[in-house]
Amino acid sequence: MNAAPELIDALVAELPEWLPTQRWFAGKDRPVTAVDAVSTTVLLEGDPLLLHLIVEVRQDDRGEPYQLLIGSRAHLPEYLGSSWIGTEKGLPCYEASGDADLTGRLLDLIAEDAQVGPLRFAQEAKAPVQGGLRARPVAAEQSNTSLVFGQQYILKLFRKLAPGENPDLKLHRALQEVGSEHIAPVLGSITGELHGEPTTLGMLQKFVTDAVEGWAMATTSVRDLMADPELPPDLLGGDFAGESNRLGQAVATVHNDLRRALGDQTADLAEFDRAVGAMHARLDRVAGEVPELTGYAPALHEAFEEIREADGPVPVQYIHGDLHLGQVLRTVTGWLLIDFEGEPAAPVSERSALRSPLRDVAGMLRSFDYAAHQMLIGQPEDPLLTERALEWSRRNREAFCDGYAKAAAADIGDPRSHALLLRAFELDKAVYEVAYEHANRPEWLGVPLASIARISSGGE
Amino acid sequence: MDEDFRPDAALGLEGVPHTGESITEEGILVEPQAGDFEHAEQAPSNPVWYKGAVFYEVLVRAFTDSNSDGTGDLRGLASRLDYLEWLGVDCLWLPPFYASPLRDGGYDISDFRAVLPEFGTVEDFVYLLDEAHKRDIRVITDLVLNHTSDAHPWFQQSRTDPDGPYGDYYVWSDDDSRYADARIIFVDTETSNWTYDPVRGQFYWHRFFSHQPDLNYENPDVQEAMLDVLRFWLDLGIDGFRLDAVPYLFELEGTNCENLPRTHEFLKRCRKVVDDEYPGRVLLAEANQWPSDVVEYFGDPAPGGDECHMAFHFPLMPRIFMAVRRESRFPISEILAQTPKIPHNCQWGIFLRNHDELTLEMVSDEERDYMYAEYAKDPRMKANIGIRRRLAPLLENDRNQLELFTALLLSLPGSPVLYYGDEIGMGDNIWLGDRDAVRTPMQWTPDRNAGFSRCDPGRIYLPVIMDPVYGYQAINVEAQRDSASSLLSWTRRMIEVRKQHYAFAEGEFIELGGSNPSVLAFKRQWTRPDGLTDVVLCVNNLSRFPQPVELDLSANEGCTPMELTGGVLFPDIGELPYLLTLPGHGFYWFHLLDESAKAR
Repeated sequence: MNAAPELIDALVAELPEWLPTQRWFAGKDRPVTAVDAVSTTVLLEGDPLLLHLIVEVRQDDRGEPYQLLIGSRAHLPEYLGSSWIGTEKGLPCYEASGDADLTGRLLDLIAEDAQVGPLRFAQEAKAPVQGGLRARPVAAEQSNTSLVFGQQYILKLFRKLAPGENPDLKLHRALQEVGSEHIAPVLGSITGELHGEPTTLGMLQKFVTDAVEGWAMATTSVRDLMADPELPPDLLGGDFAGESNRLGQAVATVHNDLRRALGDQTADLAEFDRAVGAMHARLDRVAGEVPELTGYAPALHEAFEEIREADGPVPVQYIHGDLHLGQVLRTVTGWLLIDFEGEPAAPVSERSALRSPLRDVAGMLRSFDYAAHQMLIGQPEDPLLTERALEWSRRNREAFCDGYAKAAAADIGDPRSHALLLRAFELDKAVYEVAYEHANRPEWLGVPLASIARISSGGE
Repeated sequence: MDEDFRPDAALGLEGVPHTGESITEEGILVEPQAGDFEHAEQAPSNPVWYKGAVFYEVLVRAFTDSNSDGTGDLRGLASRLDYLEWLGVDCLWLPPFYASPLRDGGYDISDFRAVLPEFGTVEDFVYLLDEAHKRDIRVITDLVLNHTSDAHPWFQQSRTDPDGPYGDYYVWSDDDSRYADARIIFVDTETSNWTYDPVRGQFYWHRFFSHQPDLNYENPDVQEAMLDVLRFWLDLGIDGFRLDAVPYLFELEGTNCENLPRTHEFLKRCRKVVDDEYPGRVLLAEANQWPSDVVEYFGDPAPGGDECHMAFHFPLMPRIFMAVRRESRFPISEILAQTPKIPHNCQWGIFLRNHDELTLEMVSDEERDYMYAEYAKDPRMKANIGIRRRLAPLLENDRNQLELFTALLLSLPGSPVLYYGDEIGMGDNIWLGDRDAVRTPMQWTPDRNAGFSRCDPGRIYLPVIMDPVYGYQAINVEAQRDSASSLLSWTRRMIEVRKQHYAFAEGEFIELGGSNPSVLAFKRQWTRPDGLTDVVLCVNNLSRFPQPVELDLSANEGCTPMELTGGVLFPDIGELPYLLTLPGHGFYWFHLLDESAKAR
């Protein structure tokens, strides 16, 4: 099926201006020079019309593929006004993920195992999907767009595409295969073609209605702590250590499951060099941009070098890659891990490489630190509250490591027994945070910097 | 047998009808019969009255003293029925008022067919029943099936005459090695489930205190005798029994001796007696077990349950406390998610506090340590495996929390059981021994003895609460009844609201989740006999801080939420998530009005 080519040409011409206004667009650092349509597929004909688009977004020498859902209808209802892109040939065109009259089609196509042009909609084996539901988009999403269908399914549409199977889908499938209890089951997928390669466009999962983000859980506890400055954290009503412990067990269990599903290796010297080199390089790059980091650079370089002295072989495997409290969900049956895509900014080659599971542990430890300090941002300096935040962070980091150790594979065991590696990974993550905060939320810069100061001076 | 030995000697019931007042030539104890007494009129017929009833646990001893001897009694309780009717109570639950040496709060029954003299007589009980039924209030009482007091004439006969008709009424053994896998329940006081009796020269089995020998249910005579005890009270007009300690009736080597199949068989027999001979009366199981085990006590789901009509949901209560302290709904959500469906003629009984300690048997060690740290800051507040405190002091007398907890009690699935005095926010006295901290006299007025008794204050069975915060001069029914803003008036109003919406009683419980962990939101959805659906929405902020919540109510798109206490209409539910904001520890109850409800 093909939509009127003139409509598409006119629409694509509007995109260079429109794309940078979208939250999920990753190329905001440079102007968009051109947008080319790579494939266009009509998913629903008539009025309203649903159009699926893969476009190549050119920014100087860089060209990156993105996935778009476009709607078009003669009369644009008011609630879709903010999604308007342009009016072509007298027809208003708009970003369609918020149009429940259209998005239901995506689920129906998966339920039908349909092939539409180059797009293949498919249910996972043994997981019948019921169509006929209306969807609403999930608010507050960063790099992708997710639609929730009738409290039963969630469809994640990947925005920035990379040829091949998306690591999120790949790892979910692998975990599902070995019966992991800490993921939301995968029920279907959407696959297209990019540079001649089958490429994941979307992943359908069971929607967990009772789920709460770990970040919301943790900050609830911190709020309680800050309101009662007298009580030690272990006596507080909102103590989170029990949850942190169970979360640690869940993460270790997922690591074990990934290993069982996809195997593991031992890092050889060359890989080690590459990893250490990448940490040095990131540090140099960020220290060049953020003067506040410069003073810590020597200590950081030294910490990175020290991991070469780490005892024994380092097991590497598939890991989550971007683990933090926003990537874990508390449900009535325990903790789930979501979004196995890796760091969104990292190149795909790095995202899909085998890495030490301690990286995920370090990511979570950093997240506890963030959760502890988030209420202090923008507040006048208060040594008492700062100490409270540190106490909370310490207690929950310890509890998380205790839980991890309880369920970890024998060759990893207690993450704290790999002190040099864990410290280097935490520092590397903190350097990444410095760059991110510097660019996006300067008032938060103090959080990673204070941690770097503490860790590199021998604190925990 | 010693000629002078009298099996009823220890009862202290001279002059009133009692078990063992004479013995037949065959050695059978003569027992009082229902036909010896007047019978009460029944309350209006409603076979499933317990599904929507508000229960009120009241200790006869603690409520009102009619004869100025310092101890509450049945006539005193009867004199307060107007108050209970005004409050909205549908059923009284009386802990045991039978003859007893009172070494276990009356659960050590020495005669199943006589009333403890200080509480009155069987005639007084029939009077109470009659008066209650006139007000459409029902009355149930505890019946301990598992054991008797060692003062019971049956036990006296059993120990002195092993070959007589009662020789096999208890579980006797030459040594103390059998049933080694059964846990000891009262770990604070007992070291074994066997105690040696020097009179008979054998050990007897007891799951609770050593002065409470277990009845031997392997003996068909014991089963018949206990069924006749049921019939005795049912004939007099009682509305049902809370069957105490039901999991332990039978023993079987190699098991923990709890929840055994034969125990269920006997409960089915009890139920059959009720169904065949006394329809409309209820059996309520007290089984402090996990919900998945407790559902066994409802029996076969096919006929709608053929054992107990009701059972207490024990693990829910500590988790309500835990959830509010954690500011997280998960402790409640988890236990309700683990609670299986129950047969259609059955109902849970739920409670916040009762005459026992806040029991922590059904929580993990980690959770128990946490609860001790949170709610029992003074070691004296602990008792057995639990916390001996009343609701108001547990919540630091915080009115917002008292209201939130009461709202949860009245809206979570099950029939709510209030504990006397909690409706006015009574305090406790942790310096009193055992569980007496929460059993002090009801506070009626600011007058002498809190209006409970006109006796000399020194004679009262337990001192009234006198501290400045919870003392009877500050906290009493009289003062609160006249104040529209009092906890009592508020509680009464909420009970009234609950009764206006049968969805609270029988509605399906549907938790709504949501991204805010501090907000517990759920629907109670009930299909009316006319086929229409009534939906009540309850949103509870478990945090002390104000919270927003976005709820997915798309299943009720187009409905208008009407707040239940004031009747205010809230914005219509659309396709988008429904936003509500709640003050700290705040809650809302809404009726979701669809087109048909608006038309009504």
